Amino acid sequence: MLRKSLGALCAVLMCFSGLASAAEVPSEIKIGTLYASSGNYAGVSMAQYSGLKIWVDQKNAEGGVFVKPFNRKIPVQLVAYDDQSNTATAATLYNQLITQDKVDILAADFGSVLTSVAVPIARDHHMLLIDQTGSGATFFSKDNPYIVLTSLPMSSVWPKHVTAFLTREGPKLGIKRVALLYATNDFNGTQAAALRDAIKATNGAVELVYDNGVPTNTTSYTVTINTIAATDPDAVVALGYVNNDIAFLRNLQDSGTRFKWLFTIYPGLETEAVEKNVGAKGLEHVFTYLPSSVMAYKPEFGLSLSEFRAAWDARFPDGKVEFGFNSVAGYTTGLVLEKALAATDSLDQLALRKAIVGLSGKLKTIDGTFELDEATGAQIGETQPLGQIELDEHGHLRFVTVYPPELATGKPVYPAP
Amino acid sequence: MLAYSLLAGVIFGLYFSLVGMGLNLVFGVMRIVNLAHGDVLMLGAFAAFWLFSLLGLHPLVAAPIVFAAAVAIGWPLYFLFVPRLLRARDPEMLSIIFFFGMAQVVVALATIAFGTSERSIPGRVLGNGPMHILGQSYPTAWVVSGAVSAVTVALVTLYLYRTRLGTTTRAVMVHREEALATGIDVHRVSAIAFGIGLGLAAVAGVFAPFMLGSVRPAMGADINITSFAVIVIGSLGNPLGTVLGGIVYGIALMVMQSYFSSWANLLPYLLLIGILLIRPTGLLGRTLRHA
Repeated sequence: MLRKSLGALCAVLMCFSGLASAAEVPSEIKIGTLYASSGNYAGVSMAQYSGLKIWVDQKNAEGGVFVKPFNRKIPVQLVAYDDQSNTATAATLYNQLITQDKVDILAADFGSVLTSVAVPIARDHHMLLIDQTGSGATFFSKDNPYIVLTSLPMSSVWPKHVTAFLTREGPKLGIKRVALLYATNDFNGTQAAALRDAIKATNGAVELVYDNGVPTNTTSYTVTINTIAATDPDAVVALGYVNNDIAFLRNLQDSGTRFKWLFTIYPGLETEAVEKNVGAKGLEHVFTYLPSSVMAYKPEFGLSLSEFRAAWDARFPDGKVEFGFNSVAGYTTGLVLEKALAATDSLDQLALRKAIVGLSGKLKTIDGTFELDEATGAQIGETQPLGQIELDEHGHLRFVTVYPPELATGKPVYPAP
Repeated sequence: MLAYSLLAGVIFGLYFSLVGMGLNLVFGVMRIVNLAHGDVLMLGAFAAFWLFSLLGLHPLVAAPIVFAAAVAIGWPLYFLFVPRLLRARDPEMLSIIFFFGMAQVVVALATIAFGTSERSIPGRVLGNGPMHILGQSYPTAWVVSGAVSAVTVALVTLYLYRTRLGTTTRAVMVHREEALATGIDVHRVSAIAFGIGLGLAAVAGVFAPFMLGSVRPAMGADINITSFAVIVIGSLGNPLGTVLGGIVYGIALMVMQSYFSSWANLLPYLLLIGILLIRPTGLLGRTLRHA
């Protein structure tokens, strides 16, 4: 009798245990994110979102993403809202994703401006923020474990090769007077500060002859260009978002002013968008970052650049969303999440962070080597060499890597003719 | 540097006179606030972009076409919406809400149709290299855009002050009910003014790629803010005041960009606050308007 009762009890317990286990397996992994279909960041935000979506669709076509705690593939549901490039709207929607949609993973919208409002919200809710491209250095601190930067280095790391070139190679080329123009936001401001500090550290070998910010929504640079030209600089560093770079380069071309050495960010990052608006001739001899959308790193995980480009072109044949670095960035976020979900012990947010940090130095994707500062969650890998744009015999853009020396594929043209 | 900024400010100001002119004309005649004004400008910009990209049509040729199309669209739109707005107890407030909604619809449709990317027409289309004026060099595209703006504003002035229709338009601007009592076909006059208002915005859009760097579906909101600053500085409801407002705004913006560039985006708001505190009727305003 006792044996029968114990047997029945065991059967009931096993049954309950099985039910409980089945109930714990989620039917889908919810990834919450925002995109901007309008406003200042629409073009780049949509590119990033579309890159992430390509990964989601690819995984769902394969039956889902492998999640280690459940030892099975689970479909991914992308819960996404439109913040219209508005930080107030974004703040409300980030809250909604966490409190109403109860997403498993929270990914930020494009860039530092739209990520800035997510950082404190994620922290307050003890939710890990998958920061895709918000690289403002102020986001990362040792006392906030609820953020990791997945797809590009933090802003202070970005100008590493530009500052090294200007301060080490510059004086040899005759570059002594540098003009620094930047849009007043976290992304550009942090880079400007890094460059300013590096130039000050040269003790006069290189000096700043112009150092001013402009509002991020600036669309007219002609007067600013004239003011910079009046300082007779040997090199000009103009830091902005894509709309700033387009306006600056167009105004520069139209004004007939020529700088001997000019660096802007987006000709390398969003080449198609900038070339469409500025023209190939307007980009000749311009220095820029060479991101993964140009460098074609050999990935050990995920699609190669050519494969991803083919997937992108198949998905967006009308060209309404342009291919560029931010497309790669969104896709890279997916790859990082895929690896992390396959390694995490649970869906607990800090366990997820531990799994992502565990990828540091080991994950090589289309975006280069993923490397995190374990203490702050800031990306310190995926660095971008300094390149110069030249035109080939057909008038097409050609990127020449000029710094660091170990990656260089050619010599810089200085002064630009 | 100051001389360069001042002259650049005048050129830029002429363009912003054109940007604000349509908004002020519509407000002056109908006492409605067209919050979709910037979005009509955006549509004009995209029309010019596609006319240039697909048909190779020069912006100077595209401008009258775009103007005529906007007037043709504005006429039925007036009869469809505006008389209903004017019958409301508070037409100004209702028009703000109505055109805000319209603006959202236009932006959404434009985003679907054109995508989110920046678009522009090469500056060389309006002339290669810089143009030298009073010893200073300016982009030819700027100078041409400023000149076209000046000519367009002059034509509007001629229309208002040298034509019979313009005289009746000004009569409606002074007092709508009295104009009606004297036998003026107020709705016809208003519909034409509404169409011209949209047309002026669309023409300003044609030259936006040259003055504002590039165009995108969501650019309208920023344009609206600047337009309001321009017309409030000049005088609400006074199209000529818009010219003065545009030039004051243009010069102030360029001087700010030269000497205090980080603060330049505060300018429209500072000018608005300043004018409202010191001279609420605007620089060319005569009396306070009682709505």
